[in-house]
Amino acid sequence: MAGRSAEVLLGLGFAGIMTTLFLGFQWAPSVAIDAFESPAAQRIFYWHVPAAWAAFIAFAVLFTGSTMWFFNRSPLGWRLHVAGAEAGLACGLIAVWSGCVWGAAEWGTPWDWTDVRLNTFGLLTLLALFLVLGRQSQPDGVETRDTFSTFGLFGFVLVPFTYIATRIWEIRHPGPVVGAGDDGGSLSGDMAIVLFIGALSFTIFIIGHILISMRITSLEQRLEQAQHHIDGGK
Amino acid sequence: MAEVLLSIKGVEVRRGMSVVLSSFGLEVNSGDITVIHGANGSGKSTVIETAARLLPLEKGQVSHHQQMTMHSDGRRKKPVKPFGLTLQSNGVIGSETIENHLRTVAALSEKEVDLAPLLQSYDIKHRTQDIIAHLSGGQQRKVAVLAGLLPAMISREPTLVLLDEPDAGLDDAAITTLTQHIVSLASAGHGFLIASHNPSLRKIGTRLHNLTGEEPGVENKAKPWETKGQPKQARNVLVRTGHRYASSTHAGLARNGLAAMMILGCMLALGDPSILPSGLWLTGGILAPAFASGLAGDPTSHLMQEARANDWWRSQVQRTPSALGLGVLIGGIVTAGACYVYISEIDIMLVLIGAMICEATMSGVRFLHASTQRLARPNAVFIRLLLPAFILPWALIVSWAAGR
Repeated sequence: MAGRSAEVLLGLGFAGIMTTLFLGFQWAPSVAIDAFESPAAQRIFYWHVPAAWAAFIAFAVLFTGSTMWFFNRSPLGWRLHVAGAEAGLACGLIAVWSGCVWGAAEWGTPWDWTDVRLNTFGLLTLLALFLVLGRQSQPDGVETRDTFSTFGLFGFVLVPFTYIATRIWEIRHPGPVVGAGDDGGSLSGDMAIVLFIGALSFTIFIIGHILISMRITSLEQRLEQAQHHIDGGK
Repeated sequence: MAEVLLSIKGVEVRRGMSVVLSSFGLEVNSGDITVIHGANGSGKSTVIETAARLLPLEKGQVSHHQQMTMHSDGRRKKPVKPFGLTLQSNGVIGSETIENHLRTVAALSEKEVDLAPLLQSYDIKHRTQDIIAHLSGGQQRKVAVLAGLLPAMISREPTLVLLDEPDAGLDDAAITTLTQHIVSLASAGHGFLIASHNPSLRKIGTRLHNLTGEEPGVENKAKPWETKGQPKQARNVLVRTGHRYASSTHAGLARNGLAAMMILGCMLALGDPSILPSGLWLTGGILAPAFASGLAGDPTSHLMQEARANDWWRSQVQRTPSALGLGVLIGGIVTAGACYVYISEIDIMLVLIGAMICEATMSGVRFLHASTQRLARPNAVFIRLLLPAFILPWALIVSWAAGR
């Protein structure tokens, strides 16, 4: 069981994500029809927000790993960097895709190039895609790790921008709806429960994803060392 | 007492994940001809590139003229004095003429020199005005070797010269000339670090290093070199060189101008521009070609990948030549053209905004491009995935320009 904890977490998270989808479509209350252009599409929110939340966790792991590698040349740091980029890409794409679907229904356009949160989050996802594809295109080495870690560090600068974007520039995205201060935001109790299940499920899923990814990277490194040893390297 | 021109102390260097140099140290003093020899893959080129500050250090430090130039903690300083460098690749872009390239090398030392006798000694004087791409492989190597020797040839101060397999591809006469130049320059107080298998070069070594230890070589009794350079102040060498590269290849027109023309053409293919309502869409249409032109990047960045020219420049001055200001010119011209097409008049304010958009975008793309140059395969990386980062600022500027 202990050796399979990552797979268990991934499975639990996936089941929770599917449950969130079911609850979001079948059980969560409908929103007021005068508050949204497309009230039915609002149900995408139960995937969109938790996926973005999980992506931010992954980006934090990416930043931590990049820092550990860049300043301490820590192999664990590099594994966290790789895992954070892959998990960030997976959840970032879910958040972007679900946002595009929702945006098309609600705003009449899937993307708005002047919305700061949309663009900074999209850029973070592109950065994760760049890191994942870029790493595969290069031989593993300190130059490769240094360069991509630098991008990981710079990329994290976007996170606070993305976070505060709707507080400063409320262009398309609304301001905070959860924990918005004394008025408690605009979520009803049942909505908050589904959102909470979604956030918990995506969090468990992302932890499982990161653990599995780190294990694969570790195995890749062992394989490379073994090959190097066979080749007679130092 | 001889001046220490190069000091490598306790360095550890990796290539990929392999440690190639470990606890390695070496000194080159003025008058030394240190020849590194050893089997293929033993790390000779790694020593030269470490001395040239091209490889990151895991441990230790490299100093030129007793001033730290690279440290394992990441510090990297431009050497206090110019040095000569010939890499295994020639480090020269093909569209340069021999004369322009060697004059640029001399300009980095703030000197000018009569090149004719030097070119004559390598039997390439008759090709002085030819572009390097039109030379044979051996002739190109002669230019690269001469470029490596030139900082010492034109300097009265002891100068460090790093040569990696300088004899590769040279004919016997050129190798003889090369060895004569090296011994006379060393007699004049310059110091050499040479990686080579060639017995002719090992024969002139005053110190022989096999990467694990050093043994004395021959005593150098050659007649000292007579310095040939004259002082000449050189300003903005990088920018002037970048513009020369861009103009000699027409890369600015081919890459940036064409990108702008394509965007303008695509938009015109969609309909009559005169029916567009004034405001956001019209302003966006006018400023889009300048933006596309900037997204194509600095044309010199692509040229610098030829024959490791970017590494040669990075080792010398920490940066590579760039066509700074070319974006203003191209952006202004294409925006003026777009203004004329869309509104049948040239709006000076929009032209200025277009020029700034193009230059700023080009600089951003140049920065992204430069940040991947340490990778083993910089061309294989998907750095252009990050270009959408420029769309938001462009859209905000268009929005502002439309509302003014």
